[in-house]
Amino acid sequence: MGFADYIQFVLAPQIINGLALGTAVVLVALGLTIIFGLLDVINMSHGEFYAIGAFGAFGLSAAGLNFWISLALIPILMVPFAVVVERLLIRRVFDGDGRHVSTLLLTFGLSLVLEDLLKVVFGPNTHSVAAPVSGAIDVFGVTVPTYRLLLIGLGAALVSGIALLIYRTRFGAVVRAAAFDRHMSASLGVPVGLVYAATFALGVALAGIAGVLLAPLYSVFPTMGRDFILLAFSVVIVGGMGSILGAVIAGLALTQIQALASLVISPVWADPIVFGAMVLVLTFRPRGLFERLGHA
Amino acid sequence: MTGPILQIEKLGISFGGFKAVDDVSFEVERNCITTVIGPNGAGKSTLFNLISGALRPGSGRVLLDGIDVTGLSPRRMRASGLARSFQITNLFAELSVRENLRIAAQMLESKTNALLPVRWSRLAIGRADAMLDRFGLTSKANDLVGSLSHGEQRRLEIAICLVAGPKLLLLDEPTQGMSHGDTEETKEIIRSLAKEATVLLIEHDVALIMDISHHVIVLQQGRKLAAGEPAAIRANPAVQSAYFGRA
Amino acid sequence: MRDQQSKFMRASHVLMLFFLVAALILSAIGAGLGDAFYIRLGTEALIFAGIGLSVDLLLGFTGVLSLGQALYFGIGAYASALVLLRVPSFWLALVVAGSASFVASIFGGLIANRVRGVYFTLISLGLAQVAAKIVYNTRELGASDGIIGVPVVQVDLGLLSVSSDDPLGFFLLVLAIVVALYTILSYVLETPFGRILIALKANERRVPFLGYSVWGARMAAYVLAGVVAGLLGALDPMLRGFVSPELMSFMTSGNAVVSVLLGGVGTLVGAIYGSVFLVLLKSVIGSWSEHHQIVVGSMFMMVVLVLPRGVIGVIHPWLRTLLSRLPPSLDRPGSPVREVES
Repeated sequence: MGFADYIQFVLAPQIINGLALGTAVVLVALGLTIIFGLLDVINMSHGEFYAIGAFGAFGLSAAGLNFWISLALIPILMVPFAVVVERLLIRRVFDGDGRHVSTLLLTFGLSLVLEDLLKVVFGPNTHSVAAPVSGAIDVFGVTVPTYRLLLIGLGAALVSGIALLIYRTRFGAVVRAAAFDRHMSASLGVPVGLVYAATFALGVALAGIAGVLLAPLYSVFPTMGRDFILLAFSVVIVGGMGSILGAVIAGLALTQIQALASLVISPVWADPIVFGAMVLVLTFRPRGLFERLGHA
Repeated sequence: MTGPILQIEKLGISFGGFKAVDDVSFEVERNCITTVIGPNGAGKSTLFNLISGALRPGSGRVLLDGIDVTGLSPRRMRASGLARSFQITNLFAELSVRENLRIAAQMLESKTNALLPVRWSRLAIGRADAMLDRFGLTSKANDLVGSLSHGEQRRLEIAICLVAGPKLLLLDEPTQGMSHGDTEETKEIIRSLAKEATVLLIEHDVALIMDISHHVIVLQQGRKLAAGEPAAIRANPAVQSAYFGRA
Repeated sequence: MRDQQSKFMRASHVLMLFFLVAALILSAIGAGLGDAFYIRLGTEALIFAGIGLSVDLLLGFTGVLSLGQALYFGIGAYASALVLLRVPSFWLALVVAGSASFVASIFGGLIANRVRGVYFTLISLGLAQVAAKIVYNTRELGASDGIIGVPVVQVDLGLLSVSSDDPLGFFLLVLAIVVALYTILSYVLETPFGRILIALKANERRVPFLGYSVWGARMAAYVLAGVVAGLLGALDPMLRGFVSPELMSFMTSGNAVVSVLLGGVGTLVGAIYGSVFLVLLKSVIGSWSEHHQIVVGSMFMMVVLVLPRGVIGVIHPWLRTLLSRLPPSLDRPGSPVREVES
């Protein structure tokens, strides 16, 4: 196979695949890093919210609902649930300096419950969700499945929207202030409790959206959250916990590494390679690539 | 042993363009009490961090007993005989007072004792008990540090530095937040330290400084403004204007 | 001369003794009734407690949460299985498993101990997941099915011999090993080295200023924890006849952390009680529903929210107060230090 052909038929499609996965990974990591960056909470149940999104897509499509409506509806439905979790559970272990460990453990317990709940409701089997659009588009001679292109576009728009929200709006300024100094912000009249609940809901909703978006591409099964969480945390750690830019860059980079590596070596080594990349980055930059939200 | 115990030569560090400590040089004489003073933000604690190994200097040298110890880690600085206390109390809160002292004294025990029962660390336990006595904490020996009063905790901060017999003590605002009575007691303890070690002190209490210091070094905005005997420093117009502005 | 920490651990020793006695009595009754199921379950719980001890050494005494201790448990198990398939020698399996987990925990520690706090926890998680994935995909190690057909092994203890398929005999052997490891770990925590670990948990930042290497102490603790997990892991294939990649997974580590928290962090004995409780709970729930995870997860959340010191943590302080009212030993501070029998 000639080099140009290799690019056109092997490399480029693989890069696009990596981008599609990468976009979803970025969304999940973004949610995770925002939750850490603002709330200082390690959300071990984040993967389950991703799974809930995917199962939501499955459930609603089985009920005959249009995919795009599900995509809009599911995050909205997840918000009140997220607020309840934040108020009832996370808020309780918030104070004191064991916060990282207590929230980690608490959300770990939550992940066990949520995962099993998914099994209770949907059964232990694997399901699939039909893609809302089929077919492919020719992009510079490379055949790209339409859905993947849409996913990348939607994801990019969403990420840009969030970045704009955090960095260019009043709400964002309030969020960053509360991230930087909670007590000061509170004494300045910022409704910190509301901001916290809203931010947690935003983070969780992002995971849910990613779940819906990826459902047509990968199978939907109850332990999918557990499988995904390591990748999500790797991205967040490499990018810098609490950094939006870091989540984006690390998310795209790690999934590309994974995608390209699978071309030359067996895909089973994908995880070890991503993990190895994380360890490598931490060796030289123990705090990740970028600075934390509000602290840059 | 002759010569100054500590020599600071052109020590400096910047944080992103901001010179926290800038070209500071001085010497500390053996068995003396030298106090570092200066308005807030003068770089005193940063200076201590540079000397004790918590921060690596951007420029300059630190010599302890003539040996270049610049940039050594806190652990190796301690092994070289330099002990440092903290402005914000930094003890082992969930351990007992005696255990705090014992573990600080443990470095005196031979490494081969590391896996023998702690009860057999007679040297460390003995030193800990001696410190309890000297600092008036014997009745609180088995109490958790968290239950001590602020003054007692500040005294324990000093005791922890002293228990393993360092050559040089860096005490960062030891009387910070203390009542008058506590301050007086602590002042006498610090004065007595000069017999067995050298003390480099950061302090704000003018009366205390004047009373026990042999030498005073004034920092302002990261630079050494003046150095000398306490009386001379007090009369120094530059020092006065640094603290009070132009009269 | 007893200090605060020693007094603290006394309560744990009493609880350990109580556990030992209870286990002996219950297993004797069980054997008398001809039961094999519950004795086997108890053996499984004790083996699993090894991971718990490993976790508690790190979390409760060194102040670091590792979510990957099952990795060393699994390595010990695989090493043991591989040995037993060729040479049915109990002691050889134990030695190889211990060595394998020793080496592995050095490598793991070199990677994980570069970072602290949450990063350490997540890397320990990553290490275990990655290793589990690699094993899952390695045909020589049985891939996803694991290694089966581990033969029954005779344990030669000099005077007597125990067979691994003798429920009571093997249970007692495992019990003895767990008690021995508990004793060793308790002893280590009563040494200057152990006290540095405890100081790390109390205030890691101050420790270098006292002249000690944080990294060195944490490496030593990590390796010790790994070997403990690995030694008990070696016993697992002897009990169940097989090993699978699941042994190394995040879920196994996670369950170990759950059991430590349920039992009581920082008591050492809590890990044992917690593991037994968890295994029994899963078995009981498992008999009428597949969904024990919901119960375990909810209980775990309750413990984190309401009972952070675990169940033992409620009993422990009460026991400590009780013990401190015993006739005073010669430990008044200020008295000349004497060589005192404990």
